[in-house]
Formats: sequence, structure tokens, C-alpha cells
Amino acid sequence: MLFFVIRRFGNMALIMVLVSLAVFLLLELTPGSVATKVLGPYSSEEQRRLWLEAHGYMEPLWTRYGSWLVNFVQGEFGQSIRFKVPVSDVLWPRLWNTTILGFWTFAIMIPVSLTLGVLAGMREGGLLDRAISQISVITTSIPEFASAVLFSSIFVFGLKWLPGTSTMSDGFDPLQLLLPVMVLVVYDFGYVTRMTRASMAEVMTTPYIRTAVLKGLPYRRVILRHALRNALIAPFTIIMLQINWLLSGVIVVEFAFAYKGFGALLLEAALNQDIYVIEACAMVAVFVAAATQTLADIGYTYLNPRIRFK
Amino acid sequence: MSNKHNGGCHPYIPELREQLRCGKIDRREFLGTATRLGVSAAAAYAMAGSVFAPGAAFAAETPRKGGNLRVSMNVKEMTDPATYDWSEKGNLARHMTEPLVRINKDNVAEGYLAESWNASEDLKTWTFKLRKGVKWSNGDDFGADDVVSNFKRWLDPATGSSNQGRFSAMTEKVDTGKKDKDGKPVMSTVGTEGAVEKIDDNTVRFHLNRADLSLPESMGDYPALIVHRRFDDEGGDLSKNPVGTGPFALKEYTVGEKAVLARRNDASWWGGDVYLDKITYIDHGDDPSAQLAAFASGQIDANFRTNIEQVDVMKNIPDLVNYEAVTAQCGVARMKITEAPFDNKNLRKAIQACIDQEKILRIVYLGRGAPGEDHHVAPVHPEYFKLPRIKQDYDLAKKYLADAGHAGGIKIRIDCVANPTWEQNACKALAEMLKPAGIDLAINIMPGGTYWDRWLTTPFGMTSWTHRPLGVQVLNLAYRSGVSWNETSYANPEFDALLDEAGTLLDANGRRKLMEKIEMVLQDDAIMHQSSWRSIFTTAHKRVRGIYCQVAEEHHYNKVWLAG
Repeated sequence: MLFFVIRRFGNMALIMVLVSLAVFLLLELTPGSVATKVLGPYSSEEQRRLWLEAHGYMEPLWTRYGSWLVNFVQGEFGQSIRFKVPVSDVLWPRLWNTTILGFWTFAIMIPVSLTLGVLAGMREGGLLDRAISQISVITTSIPEFASAVLFSSIFVFGLKWLPGTSTMSDGFDPLQLLLPVMVLVVYDFGYVTRMTRASMAEVMTTPYIRTAVLKGLPYRRVILRHALRNALIAPFTIIMLQINWLLSGVIVVEFAFAYKGFGALLLEAALNQDIYVIEACAMVAVFVAAATQTLADIGYTYLNPRIRFK
Repeated sequence: MSNKHNGGCHPYIPELREQLRCGKIDRREFLGTATRLGVSAAAAYAMAGSVFAPGAAFAAETPRKGGNLRVSMNVKEMTDPATYDWSEKGNLARHMTEPLVRINKDNVAEGYLAESWNASEDLKTWTFKLRKGVKWSNGDDFGADDVVSNFKRWLDPATGSSNQGRFSAMTEKVDTGKKDKDGKPVMSTVGTEGAVEKIDDNTVRFHLNRADLSLPESMGDYPALIVHRRFDDEGGDLSKNPVGTGPFALKEYTVGEKAVLARRNDASWWGGDVYLDKITYIDHGDDPSAQLAAFASGQIDANFRTNIEQVDVMKNIPDLVNYEAVTAQCGVARMKITEAPFDNKNLRKAIQACIDQEKILRIVYLGRGAPGEDHHVAPVHPEYFKLPRIKQDYDLAKKYLADAGHAGGIKIRIDCVANPTWEQNACKALAEMLKPAGIDLAINIMPGGTYWDRWLTTPFGMTSWTHRPLGVQVLNLAYRSGVSWNETSYANPEFDALLDEAGTLLDANGRRKLMEKIEMVLQDDAIMHQSSWRSIFTTAHKRVRGIYCQVAEEHHYNKVWLAG
């Protein structure tokens, strides 16, 4: 197991280096544009040249990449071109905001989707199953940008119950979190519900469940003691993958509700070619992807004793 | 001859008054020219006999003190005003650091930190009297040393300020002693020695290499906010060391999120009463619908900009008021005449003959503005001369196209930014209008950052130009031979000579006669298609009083108040 974890994190480090190199090459091959971003489109050629010299951009690409990598390992992610502050000053607060959003999304979405999935899978083809399945398919089919507009028109413009944006400019306000969480939960719960339902339905057809039922065990006991643990193995992996999805999924939601999180930061950085912010965001995304995958694999071994890593 | 020989008033002022009296010039033109020549805005308004002094609309109402004005606007970095390249940055800083001159809502330059100014008759020597009794927030007195220090920074190429171009009449090229890779000497543009002279603590004189009619207007542009004389020594970062002369102080600032400015109570402001307790700028990102939702749920009181598509939508939200400014802002589909196929005048004329300006204005900008005439001088400019527009004529377009050697049609491409959307819509309308003549226009839509990397080099691009108070200012920046923002690479000695002459004429009528020729030269050379002038809009809740939409999207909130 230890060897497996070490290997996984080794792979993760390698992927991060490769991704960082790719992003660096793509964005830094045009050093002139960096000076234009900083000094503005109306700066003169001479002004841009002087700025590039003063900030080390005339050094060879490999030297610049090497020093960036060394600094990155030491926790210095460089200076944001757009914000003119260290990247870490912007990145960590934004990541924390997205963590809050993600936490509440998962805190609502996981119990809801697991419960609905189990209820639907318990009696495949029943009325409840059909109703839950239909709702799941419909909600998952509506993209976040559409549901964001829909919910805004109902709760902000129509009923006037909720604030329209989530900038938290006067400090944390749970009300401002409602719409973004609602959009993410509605989009994602259907998918996890369907996966849980499929897994539950499969378990319910296995011989050991049939035996338990025929043995005369109460149905409640059959579900809670025998079916549930095995039925939750597949959804566990799916849920771990949702953390990855969330990192990119929040882009639309954060943009729509002006929530100052990681997704909005990544989008703004990409549109403004804010190289070091994009680099740092890419590293965070790769880290989260690899880490959740590793955690999912480790968790899987506990849930499914038949699987062992060598 | 300096105007001190004329009782402190420029010799042209009496004639100007006479022209106003006879109806030869309008009020706006009078105000603009008089203030440019050093008459204070208040005096100019009085001379014009106007009852509409700034803010007069709410004069009957007693302003109420207190309140927090919440404004939706991108909160960008605000390190150094000299390098600002967005109006939003200027707005964040303007209530702390102030300019020498301010462009008011009538497009007129009025004295701000500079109380008055006067110019020699050849417009090469300008003397600015600074306002007395102005204090910096650190307790220092504001004075000539601050102004000299700011100009020194601006004209230094290492600062990277666009003010170097704005005040190019005070710069010269010098040999750095270095050689480039081709062995040619590397030249540098630096401030001319002695161009900025301190006369006394409250007087600064500018010695220009050439006449510059627009010096006061240039001082009103947003990168020309005056910082303290020790700005660089104290870190060179306004957000970390917010020392200013304005009535507000920076209390909170998180780039990309919000900025809070609170009224200073340590000393009285030179401009008198200030009503708001706080101004809070909230960043809602680039999604216009987020701004709309913020208005609907009462999270903001005003915004930076209302996109044209949202003007009517805003009207549907109770208690919101739209404010409009007629401006010289426009999109210019400009062609680089040194690049094929746009080096062929017949091709450029063919494109010009396909365009129906009024239709483009109607489709793209819902008719809110004025149709253009392909010469980049706007009806709001005092020297504007109305030329007949080139009419859409496909037969003529096909003839030009055949003369250009493309009888069978041609494929071309235009670069444009994704946002604001009216720019790409203008390109789409252009493409549709070019089709019947056999011109296939592909549109390359890109993020703003990418377009601004290539705006000077792309063969065909849609560039958005901001408002400038004078027509000659724009022409000098964009179309004079060899200037750095000449995106078309236009080089016409006749045009340059006419522009030189126009730059020495204070008389708006005389300048207008010359502008007729200048505009005709540009229109005939067909280097750009400038189909419309756009009005700009902002929106505010009706309780916000004294607010207006300024032509360059500047926020002037020092006299704004919130009704109960």
C-alpha cells in the first residue's frame, strides 16, 4: 500500500512538471505580450523593451522556466500580471472560497443523491424509481448556465427572495451561497443518483440478497445491513471524481453569480493570459485530480476487500 | 505674446464671446475653447450666461450627508496611476488622487488641482496656476514640486506611462549610445530638459517643442492623476501607500473583489462639502447579467457601464435611471495600408462602398449614437465639419474591386475582440454587407488581451477608440505619420501639414474650415471604416443624486449624494 501511494504521488509530481512545462511553453513563447499586458496596449516599443529587461524576460526560456520551477517548489508562484500582487495572495483565498462552495454542494448533494439512488434502486422499475430517474435525467440535462439564469429569474427577479450575486462584499452571507449551491446540486445530484441507483439495482439482484430475503430477514435489515455497503462502492468512486468536476464546473457558476472563487480566477486569468496565475491554477487542478484519484483507490480497498494493491 | 499682457485673459477670449453672441459657435464650443485658454469653468459658464452650472439639476434639493454608494465595477490593480490603461483604474484612484484638469460632463476641461492656466499665442508656452491650500492626506502641502515630479516620471521611458505619448510635445529622441543587432543606434524618447519649469510654489510653466492645443485636455486623462512627489521613494504603490489630495481615503482593497473608499475627516477638502460617507466598488466580473441581478436585488446603487443590450432591460427594473453621454467613442475597422491586400486603395474603396453606416448603427447599436463618415472626427468635437457620407453602392464597389484586380471576389479576415459584443456584431454586419460585392470577410474573434497584443500589426482589425475632447487629438494620435499608435501605418505629408496647421488654430470656426479638408483626405484614402459614434450609458438607482455619465466613463462622486 505504501509503495502504491508513493508511486501515485511520484506520478502526480511528474504530471505536474509536464503540465507546467506545457503551459509555460504555450504562454511564455510570446514575451512581448507580457509587457503589453502589464504596461497596457498603448505603451511604446521602448517602454515594453525596458520592462522586459528589468523583469528578466530577456533571459533564455529554460533559465526562466528553471527559476520559476525552483520558486514554485518553494511556494513562490510568481507575480500576477493582472493583479500585480503575488499569485499566492490571490490563489489561496479564491481556493478557500471554492472549498466553501464545494463543501456545501457536497454536503447537500451526497446525502440527497445517495438516498434517492438507493430508494430508486431498491425496487427497479417501480413508480418511485421511474419518478426519481426522470427527475435525475431532466436536471442533469440542464446545463449550469441555463439553470443559473432560470433560478435567478425565479428567486431574484420574480419572487425577490434571494440576492442576485454572491460577491460576499460585506462579509460571508449564507443567503448569497444559496443560488450557486442550488445550481451545482441540481446539475450534479442526478448523475450520482443514477449511478447509485444502478449499483443498488445490481446488488438487489445478487444471490446473497435473494437468500437474505428468502431467509425471512426484515426488508429494512436486508437493505441496511447487506445491500447498502456493496451498493455504495461504485458511487464512492463517482463522488471522488465529482471533486474534479467541481473544480471546472464552478467556472460557469462562479462567473454567473460573481462568486470570487477558483473557477472565476482561472477564467479571468485565461482571458487575460495571466501566465503565473494560470500556471498555479493548473498545478492545483492537477494536484486535486491526482490526489482525489489516489484517495479513491485507497478508499476502494477498504470498501471492497477483494481488491488489494501490490 | 503671453496673455498677462491682456489683463490675465487670453487675447482670443473677447472674440470668442462675440462669436457666441452672434451664434457663430455654440455654448459647448465656447465653454471648451474658453477653458482651454485658461478661463475657469465657473467663469466660462458665467460668460456663456448659462444657468446650467454642473450639478444644477438638483440645486433645489438640499444634499444629504451620509451613506455608502455601492458601485459595480471591475476592481483592477491600482499600483501606479501613470501606467493605468483602463478607465476603471482611474475611477478607483480619482477620489483619492486628483488631476490638474478635469473633463466635465459637457466635454469641457475645467481646472481641478490647477486653478487656471494660460497659453502664449503660439501655444508653445503654457503657464498653470496651482490651487492654493490643497493638502495631501499625509499633511504635506500640494505644490509645484509635485507637478514637476509627476511630469518627470511620466516622461521617463522606464516608467512605462502612456503620458509620455500624451505629452510628446515635451519629449525628444536621444541616442542611448547602444547599437541594435543591425548596428543602428538605439534611440530613446526622453523628456526635453527644461520642458517643465517651476516658477514658484504654485506656478508651473510648460515649454513645448511644438504647439499643442490640447495640453489641458491631456492633463484630464485618467493616467494623469497627480501622485505625491515622494511616490516612488515611498514604494511606488498607491494601493499600499494611498496618499492623495482627494476627499476620500482607501480603507479596504482586494483586487478583483472590492475597494472601499471612506470620506476623509482629518482635513477639509479644497472643493468644499462632500456628502457620501463611503464609496464601495464591487467587482461582479465580466458577466453583465450579474450586474443586472445585483441591481434587482438591491446589492448595488450604480454601475460603471450599462451595455447597449441592457439599456432597455434596466428600464424595466423599478427605480433605476439610465444616464447617457453622447461621445466620440467608436469602433474603427481599420486597414493596415502597408500590408497586402489593403495596400491597394481600390480594394479599400470597394469595401467602403459596401457599407451602409446608418444600418450598422441601427443593427449593432440600436440606433443609439450617430452614423460615422469614415474620418474619425465626431459631431461632439468642436471642430467637426459635416461631410456627406459615402453611400452604399454595390456597382461602384464591384468596379473598385475589379480595378483592384479582384473581379472574381476576394477573401479577407478581420480581427476583433469578443467583448464588448457590439464590436463583433459590427464585424458580422460588415461581413454581410461585403458579401454582395464578392468580398468574403472571415471574422477572427479573440479575447481582448490577445487583440491588444496585435492591434498595431494586424492587417485588418476592429479597434475601439475612446472619447477624446478634441478631434485633432485623435487624429494626432492615430493617423499622423510615424506616431506609435498609427495602426493603419498611414503616412500622408499633406494630411500631416494640414493637421499641423489645425493644431495652431484656437478659433473653432477657422479650425473647422481646415477640418473639412482633413476629413476629406481621410475619407478619400479609405484607410478605415468608422461606421458609427456610440453613446455610452450608466445606470443608477433614483436615490443617487448628482450622478451623470461622463464622456470618458470617469466617476465624479465628490458631489454625489444619496437621497433618503
